[in-house]
Amino acid sequence: MANRWRKPVKLAVVILMVFPFLAGCWDRLEIEDRAVVLGVSIDEAKKVTEEQEESEVIPNGPKTDMVHVAVQIALPGRIPLGPSDSGGGGGAGSQETLWVIDVIGHSIDDALMNLQQQISGRLFFGHLRVIVVSEKIARRGLENVNDFFRRNSEVRRMAWLLISKGNARKLMTAAPKLERVPTLYLMATLDEGIKMGKFPKDYIGIFWSNAVKKGQEGFLPYVELRKEDNVEISGLAIFKDKKMVGRTKALDIGAYMAIKGSNPAGYRVFVDLGGPKKNVMTSTTHRDEKTRISFKNGYPHFDVYMTIEINLEEKISDSVMISTTGTLKQVEETEKKMALKIYRDTIEMTQAQGADIFGFGELIRAKRPSYWNRKIRTKANWQEMYKEKATFDFHLTVKARRIGMRAK
Amino acid sequence: MQSNSNRQITTIESAAVLVSTIIGVGVLPLPLFAVRAGDAGAPLVTLLGMLVGFVGLALIALLGMRFPNKNIIQYSEDIIGKWLAALGSICIIGFFAVLTSLTAREFGEVVVTSVLKETPLEVTVIVMLLLAAVSTRNNVITFSYIHLFYFPFLLLPAILIVALSLKNADLINLQPVWGNNPSHMLPGVLTVAALFQGSFVLTLVIPAMRNPKKAMKASLLGMLIAGGLYISIVIAAVGVFGAEEIKNLLWPTLELAKATSLPANILERLDAAFLAVWVTAVFTTLFSSYYLTLQALSTLSRLKDHNMLSFFLLPLVFIMAVMPQNIISMYEIIAFVGRIGLSLTIGYPALLFIIALIRGKRGDRSNGKQVEKAS
Repeated sequence: MANRWRKPVKLAVVILMVFPFLAGCWDRLEIEDRAVVLGVSIDEAKKVTEEQEESEVIPNGPKTDMVHVAVQIALPGRIPLGPSDSGGGGGAGSQETLWVIDVIGHSIDDALMNLQQQISGRLFFGHLRVIVVSEKIARRGLENVNDFFRRNSEVRRMAWLLISKGNARKLMTAAPKLERVPTLYLMATLDEGIKMGKFPKDYIGIFWSNAVKKGQEGFLPYVELRKEDNVEISGLAIFKDKKMVGRTKALDIGAYMAIKGSNPAGYRVFVDLGGPKKNVMTSTTHRDEKTRISFKNGYPHFDVYMTIEINLEEKISDSVMISTTGTLKQVEETEKKMALKIYRDTIEMTQAQGADIFGFGELIRAKRPSYWNRKIRTKANWQEMYKEKATFDFHLTVKARRIGMRAK
Repeated sequence: MQSNSNRQITTIESAAVLVSTIIGVGVLPLPLFAVRAGDAGAPLVTLLGMLVGFVGLALIALLGMRFPNKNIIQYSEDIIGKWLAALGSICIIGFFAVLTSLTAREFGEVVVTSVLKETPLEVTVIVMLLLAAVSTRNNVITFSYIHLFYFPFLLLPAILIVALSLKNADLINLQPVWGNNPSHMLPGVLTVAALFQGSFVLTLVIPAMRNPKKAMKASLLGMLIAGGLYISIVIAAVGVFGAEEIKNLLWPTLELAKATSLPANILERLDAAFLAVWVTAVFTTLFSSYYLTLQALSTLSRLKDHNMLSFFLLPLVFIMAVMPQNIISMYEIIAFVGRIGLSLTIGYPALLFIIALIRGKRGDRSNGKQVEKAS
């Protein structure tokens, strides 16, 4: 009798004992109790008001410069899934879907702790897409920012880190019309930039990898807010070690991508065939690159062989006729001269900073390890050598392929 | 004594046991270990580590083929005598008990850091150990079936992540293949070799193999699959991140899963999926080392049945698992224990094999003559 029941009872007891352990109830967190952070901006704290002073949890932090952190928290239930159905035809302000709160702190984590003290939901960084850092902070150094976000297990490596000209917080509150969630708009600007060939892949993870490589420096997108709350990628912020040392112009991004041979290509330039009226516009469609290393007087010399394919897109007036291969040849030749100058300027600018964002040093480390081990070895040595000794020759082949739908 | 029902493990099954035993908690920090030793030459370090690991496994296979009806606890008595052998066996038991506890602890650390942040470490560790302890209450044939069952679940996701992440890899990161500082490779090679020590469990499998002569083939196959996977994970991690960045990451393989997305953004990060699968990988590793500890202990103490011991050992293993005070000291202990273990899993079998050769001891002439009398 009793034996018949013994087995099921034993089993039930075991299940009852084991189940609470396996169910993971310690970590249950209802989705509405989470404060999902979509974007973070980091500025320097200018004047600390009395109220902010009081809001600090730790009264005597380290004597470093304070940071001003603003976070965008998604409001549960307000984020539209899919295309807007009744959003009133776009233009939904950022206030509707998001809540932007700012705090100050001695470091990122300190600021976020002060913030946590003020809101109910637990801050969750798993959906963090964009981190905007103001130029001032970037020039001071990103060590703290990098450390915090690398250590946090929730942050994805596919998030974007941006450097903003001026105040970074404005990018958090901006309300562009195209997306109902401003952060997603910021992200789309960059992601589409990659697809259109206007920006190289440079997620935060890639930046981290490049910035620590011995023969390479990192760079980040440099963005500006325009008056319609739209965001312009206006260049590359160049880093040396962990500090921002300079910025480029937007066209230099094209030069960077050509030198790296990255595809798809998407920059347009004017080609002057003699006089203002004779300008035509071309767009790059494909890039190709091969770098040869040689040594001149014991210092590295790089021959960069590049090929770009272009399409003719527009001309200013009918004073040029695009009907013979001769004209196209002329376009190719002119563009070649012009492009080479841009490339050279870009390289010289990074050389002046001693910041090899292209990774030429990595090429030496990989392909000429004996030279690297003998002469360079460390990141600092390569920075020095890149600045003073390395020489470059660019060889460009331009191939004009198509002229659009017009016959002349 | 050997009826056919006790000898039914095939070559493939034994290879599966080896693969799922080797692939375990170690895959997460593996690229870090390899990169610390060899920079861009990390794949080479892994390859060398695999070769060192294979030496140990090959010795076990050779010994097993020489004594096809016995495991290492039994034939060591034939070779070097009862008392010396007991000493060696106790070392083995102790080592694998420690290895079991460290595996459980490392698993707990990863889970607490990355997924279940509120769950106490002790709970994750004890649940995992309980699971292993319950599963060890089986004979070696069930043991190998369990491994065979989980085998595809271990391989496919790892291969998927490697394949998907390779599109972000840059060949420059992997050159030069011997690294920029090849003189510091040796400690790293040993650390990586220590990750292969679980393969010692082969000694329990051979006496139940249908054809013990194929033990070498099984170990070669198992080593090729597990080692190949290890090397490809290192290649993918170094290729994607570069050697210098890996030095910044505690668990580069997890980070690799985090940076990898399925095409068309079905899943934008694979770390959660990867961790879910990785739990089974840890389980099989834990299962093997726990089983090895138990079997060795019961053979040594001449017990007929090891089931009783399984829970008796649990508190001991658990206490050892929670001993390390922090994650850094845990990794120091793991590296230290791993090095010591190498002398046990390679040196001891080598010693046994050489002495067996010199003294001409064998246990495989059972067809014509009777099995040599076990003293």
